[in-house]
Amino acid sequence: MTPDRAETPVGGEPESVEELVAQWEDEKPPASGPLTNVATGALVALLGVAGVIGSRSLGLGSTSQPGPGTWPLVVSVALIVLGVLLVARARTAGFGEKFSVDSWRVVAGLASMIAFTLLIGNIGFEIPAALLAFFWLKVLGNEGWRSSAVGAVLMPVFFYLIFVTLLKTNIPHYF
Amino acid sequence: MTTSPTRRLRALAGVAVLALGLSACGGGNLGSDDSGENFPDGAINLTVGQDPGGSTDLIARALANPVSDDLGVEVPVLNRPGANGALAAKELASKSANGQELMVMNLSLVAITSLTVPEDDAINLEDYTVITGISEDDYVLVSNADSGLNTIDDLKGAGALNYATTGTGTGSQLSSALLFQLAEIDGTAVPFDGGSPALTAVLGNQVDVASIQLGEAMPQIEAGTITPIVTFAADRNEFLDDVPTAVEEGYDVEVAQARAIVGPKDMSQDVVDQLREAFTKAFETDAYTSFNEQNLLRPQELDGDELTEVWNQSVETYRQLTEEYGIDLGSTE
Amino acid sequence: MDFAPVIDGFGVVLQPENLLFCLIGVTVGMLIGVLPGLGPAATVAILLPITLTVEPVTAIIMLAGIFYGAQYGGTITSVLLRLPGEASSVVTVFDGYAMARQGRAGAALGIAAIGSFVGGTIAIIGLTFFAPLVASFALDFGPPEYTILALLGILLVASVGSGTLVKALIAAGIGLLLATIGRDGFTGSERFTFDVLQLSDGIDFVPIAMGVFGLGEILYNLEDRNNNTKAPTKVTKVLPSKAEIKQSSGAIGRGSVIGFFLGILPGGGAVLSSLAAYAYEKKCSKNPERFGQGAIEGVAAPESANNAAATSSFIPLLTLGIPANATIAVIYGALLIQGVTPGPQLVEDNPDIFWGVVNSMYIGNVFLLIMSIPLIGIFVKILQVRAAILAPITVLITLIGAYTIANSVFDIFLVCLFGAIGYLMKKVGLEPGPLVLAFVLGVLLETALRRSLILFGGDPTGFIGRPISGTLVAILVAVIAFPLIAKLWKSKTKQKELV
Repeated sequence: MTPDRAETPVGGEPESVEELVAQWEDEKPPASGPLTNVATGALVALLGVAGVIGSRSLGLGSTSQPGPGTWPLVVSVALIVLGVLLVARARTAGFGEKFSVDSWRVVAGLASMIAFTLLIGNIGFEIPAALLAFFWLKVLGNEGWRSSAVGAVLMPVFFYLIFVTLLKTNIPHYF
Repeated sequence: MTTSPTRRLRALAGVAVLALGLSACGGGNLGSDDSGENFPDGAINLTVGQDPGGSTDLIARALANPVSDDLGVEVPVLNRPGANGALAAKELASKSANGQELMVMNLSLVAITSLTVPEDDAINLEDYTVITGISEDDYVLVSNADSGLNTIDDLKGAGALNYATTGTGTGSQLSSALLFQLAEIDGTAVPFDGGSPALTAVLGNQVDVASIQLGEAMPQIEAGTITPIVTFAADRNEFLDDVPTAVEEGYDVEVAQARAIVGPKDMSQDVVDQLREAFTKAFETDAYTSFNEQNLLRPQELDGDELTEVWNQSVETYRQLTEEYGIDLGSTE
Repeated sequence: MDFAPVIDGFGVVLQPENLLFCLIGVTVGMLIGVLPGLGPAATVAILLPITLTVEPVTAIIMLAGIFYGAQYGGTITSVLLRLPGEASSVVTVFDGYAMARQGRAGAALGIAAIGSFVGGTIAIIGLTFFAPLVASFALDFGPPEYTILALLGILLVASVGSGTLVKALIAAGIGLLLATIGRDGFTGSERFTFDVLQLSDGIDFVPIAMGVFGLGEILYNLEDRNNNTKAPTKVTKVLPSKAEIKQSSGAIGRGSVIGFFLGILPGGGAVLSSLAAYAYEKKCSKNPERFGQGAIEGVAAPESANNAAATSSFIPLLTLGIPANATIAVIYGALLIQGVTPGPQLVEDNPDIFWGVVNSMYIGNVFLLIMSIPLIGIFVKILQVRAAILAPITVLITLIGAYTIANSVFDIFLVCLFGAIGYLMKKVGLEPGPLVLAFVLGVLLETALRRSLILFGGDPTGFIGRPISGTLVAILVAVIAFPLIAKLWKSKTKQKELV
């Protein structure tokens, strides 16, 4: 969270609908470029090629007796066509968002979830949940030490009450 | 970042209370993980390899209540659909044989589906402990009442036909494929997902005929919207005594669906006996007998050995028939 | 028309459990609408595991409640913070926030609640009469008709998304390919399972929806954007004055009708209808210069419209089995898991579910009206809970919930995987909606197509030869031309998609 942006919204109070729309446009992160579209299109076409190879090995059948591979083949060919089309129209096909310096937060967030998943089968969910909560509060959420620690303790307790005590689910638990 | 920590914490607690209230309504005990010497120890899971609402599911639910009352533990019915029940059966085989894990097994899974899958994937009754048989369900071949197809001779004279089946590797598919082969009728099988969609296809004239379980077809037969042509039972059904069996018509096709309660292999005889007794009591309750009557199910409440013998015979017959007439029920890759 | 099942439907709704879940759904929906970040599709997806433990009718009553509750909840932040909680409340910002600055926030929220109630109720009445009409053709819908319907549904949703058509179709194609994983229902052979046992029965819908919608959005929000937190405006008097009600009654009526009809169109839904209702009100107003300066009609019309549209978008789902938007697609998936296939046969086969759901919407709208007024104060407080605290709670609910669906750690991995995919899709400009929708419709589409081809003996012209499927093919062709018109219309109204 960038504090200065949080305190002073860009452009102040808009007076008209048009200004408001323009302000939203300004606040949007920078758009990704045509290169991302080329890469996406190529990846999609590759997926299509893999799908075609897979479909052929499944048995294509005929139109009167379609086999297991008929439909995957149709979809895969469509993906190849669409992928190529996206590459060809990379400049006009609309853009997503550039990866920013903040994107590491997403990688870190995802890594914490995978770590949680790896641990849960071995030591139950409580400790991984506390670690995940603390990481998200302190590191990703910029919370203070105190509220992060309190949150990291409260959240597993609260989920224990719901999923173990109340719902009696089979979620692996240590305590 | 100007919010004070205390206010933040109070807000946090507020969210927690709200989420708690929300989750509290999930309800339901999803099972227990304890195991022990004394049977029954906690809930007995009764797995059904089909979606909720189908015949197998309804039968499981009709039995679960009285069995639960008798044994004094929860008997939740768990649906684990997939591959005609093969998925649930494979999971069951790997579970502990302490009597806490049971399943409603279909004859078609053992006797017909196994003809359509590679040998390794076939479900074999030997890998399970049979607790008790349940009931049999007849198949009936029906056509749309407006189609004018009332007898097998009508079918023979109708040229190329499409017939709906309730799925690949089902008794519905086997019975109609055999009949069409023996009677030399030119037909194409169109697989649907279960009896209700197959019936709808007949009602909407999407297909010409369909082989459907009697209980599912009966309401429409009574309403006069579909015409029963033959049943694939051994004897005429008491509720449809004017409808001939395929055997009477000169075609040796006898296919029925049957169901049994099974557990993992090598269950102790003591546990099997206790369970068998509980199910036998359930079979005798008024609620269950009227359930059978309503759904036109014929009781087949055999013990483990008897049932295994009867089912193995069906397995052998079906295998011979499909080989003899060169019937391909699906991929065998 | 036979009214007995309609009455029975009320019996279903009035069961205490269903009433309770309706109330929970509406409350959670409003809450989610208030909290920016998670949309209704993500919420419904995250709460799926809870619904699996209750009866199908109860589950869908709750999910429907979340959906239209969120339509109203989004209004609160639009008015108080100038931050629309939902895309369908974007236009409400214009006059709603202006009213709030004039000290009329209460009146804006009050009229929005009344408008939502009226809009919702009018749409339910429409639904009650319209749905059985479509269902009377039910038996004529065979595999060929379903094939074209499913194609139509995917195309429509793809064509009205915020991105370009090529990208939406790519997302749909990936969804269709994912749906082929697992055992083939026709032949029993395994497809694309790579010998992974857990894949032999295909990927579950729940991990995909939870991942792509739920975790995908949470991850996406980790990158800072639009996090301006502001102190919400004080709300004093909640009820609008008599004059204000009189002034906006016409707008409410017109907005409801516009919302109802646009909501029926697959893909149309709440966003388009709120824009259309606002534009129409401004156009036919005697003094359009008031709009944007705190005109109460500018709140009443779009709010009535988006709630009417949310309700009427259930019509294509309940009568044709076609989800009209991403949230409805998740509800469709929930029904499939419960063993209920929405479609022309639903009214006949499961009248309790059909009428239970329809009638629950009356009750839900009453809840919405009664609760919105006292709860506004509480929601304003909840607005102060920061995203940093909510995020780990949502993540943990999602991960633990994913495990409980099938007691499988593999499913948690799947949710993480699809969360990453959902995030990447957003970054490169692919919408997750068409992917999830196509995944849901994929199996239906393939099996219907294969059945049709078998029935036609391999001749694809058979689709044109049947009256209903022939008509649907004609509509399909028309739809391929539709995106161009929609694009023109969109650039005119300068719609701004806000995430």
